[in-house]
Amino acid sequence: MGKSEVKGTVTSLSSMFPAEEVQKAAKMVEEKLSEKQNEMNQLKEFIANNTSLINLVQKLPDELHHDIMVPFGKAAFFPGRLIHTNEFLVLLGESYYTERTAKQTVEILKRRGKSLESKVDALKAVMQDLKAEASFFDSTASEAAEGLVEIREYEEDNSTERASQSGSLELETPSVAEADNKMGASEDDEYARIMSRLEELEKEELAAEDNEENLEDEDEDANAVESDGNEDELTKAAEGDGDEDELTKAAFHRKKDECYSYLDHGQRYSESRKQLQQFNGKEPIEEMSNKYKHQDLTKQFASTGLTEEPVTKGEISHGQIIQQDTQTLSPSINAFAPFEKKSVQTSKSEFDSSKAFTGSIVEHTQNLDKSSVGTNMTSLQSSGSQPWKPVSRFKMQRK
Amino acid sequence: MDSLRQEKIQKFEEFVDRRLKPDLVHAIVERDKIFDQQKIFSDLRKNIENLEKNSVTSLRTLVNLGSEVYMQAEVPDTQRIFVDVGLGFHVEFTWSEALKFISLREEKLERQIEEYTRLIASIKAQIKLVCEGIRELLQIPEEKTVEGRVF
Repeated sequence: MGKSEVKGTVTSLSSMFPAEEVQKAAKMVEEKLSEKQNEMNQLKEFIANNTSLINLVQKLPDELHHDIMVPFGKAAFFPGRLIHTNEFLVLLGESYYTERTAKQTVEILKRRGKSLESKVDALKAVMQDLKAEASFFDSTASEAAEGLVEIREYEEDNSTERASQSGSLELETPSVAEADNKMGASEDDEYARIMSRLEELEKEELAAEDNEENLEDEDEDANAVESDGNEDELTKAAEGDGDEDELTKAAFHRKKDECYSYLDHGQRYSESRKQLQQFNGKEPIEEMSNKYKHQDLTKQFASTGLTEEPVTKGEISHGQIIQQDTQTLSPSINAFAPFEKKSVQTSKSEFDSSKAFTGSIVEHTQNLDKSSVGTNMTSLQSSGSQPWKPVSRFKMQRK
Repeated sequence: MDSLRQEKIQKFEEFVDRRLKPDLVHAIVERDKIFDQQKIFSDLRKNIENLEKNSVTSLRTLVNLGSEVYMQAEVPDTQRIFVDVGLGFHVEFTWSEALKFISLREEKLERQIEEYTRLIASIKAQIKLVCEGIRELLQIPEEKTVEGRVF
């Protein structure tokens, strides 16, 4: 669907990272790595020598004299003995020497060993970085060889393309890009769709209100049915909203519209969808809408021109929104993450989706009336809260 | 004709780069080693002569235990000295014997050095020859002209 005013670029990875250059870079990195490896070996040798020297220095004071062969130059020895076995002359560097006892010498050598070890650690870190670089180069080289293509899409107000761009072996478009594109969907169309959906959902909710629980199937079906046609976002959003709107259709219509618009615009497309689906009751939808409102309000308002709507909405709705917003803000944020984990669950059924969720149970203070304890409030706070929240509020409002 | 020439030139260049130059480097390295050995033995000889001159019977030295940590050592009797005669053997010598040995050793080292020097010189000559050949093929005028003024 959609208008195809997507601006985007398709760049093949191989053009950005030519295969040969990548291989060259990989080789260079390997060379550096081998250099570092040599340094590492050398340092380790030093450390080994140091430890053996420490042992020797500790053993020497055991005897007064040691008989040894004293070297005389590089090619001759004198038989002799080591004397003053507790006195060591240690080179400190820069031709500075110091006479120390065995214990003190051992301490000096231990300190030297520590500094060597720290050097080894630093070298290890460098080597790890080089290895990561090398692996990156390798993977890029293989990807470039495969003909991977990088696709970037830019938002356009009228662009509604969501379809990930094909033609590449792997889609690299971030989901955000898709969401952005979706955001471009015309608001008017969404409006209409949302309205129709809402009505449908409301009807369903009214029917389902009585039986708040065990409506998973219905919800799923409803969601499935409703999801047809309109953009997925819209449908799902509508569906989700529809459930909620049953009770407060009038009040929430506009809200939902806003929400949907937000949903479209927001980058939570998938999340919102799932959330909506998950929302069985009305509340979830409301919450979602509220959440989106909060989150996307600032952005969306300007773009969608719906800024005025919340204000124009009825007092009740506004108040409700506020209430919900405060509550749902945090959960909504959390909701996003878990949403994806959960399988798409009917958002319509009042409690079915909640049951399907395996998230933590979040009880909203607003859900005073409904005792849908069973409903699991996943971060999304969907469905579970739906039945009781909207019912309590909307019923009160309506009645 | 030209292509043939180019091929020949290339072959010559390759020969020079791959065979002659590394050979030269290798020979120089070996000769340097021999120089070092020669130096060691000459130092030893000087030391022994020194000891003899001063009639030093015992001496105290500092022995390197490793990583520049020294310990005092005493040599009570300097009459006996053990000299490395190669292949991991050390022979006990008196001073005079040691001096004799060292001079023999030094002669041998000198002969080796001479050999290496000759080898290096021949390699250098070969390199020059090949370069000249290339020059002729390219018909580049000789770099050196021994001619005097031409009237």
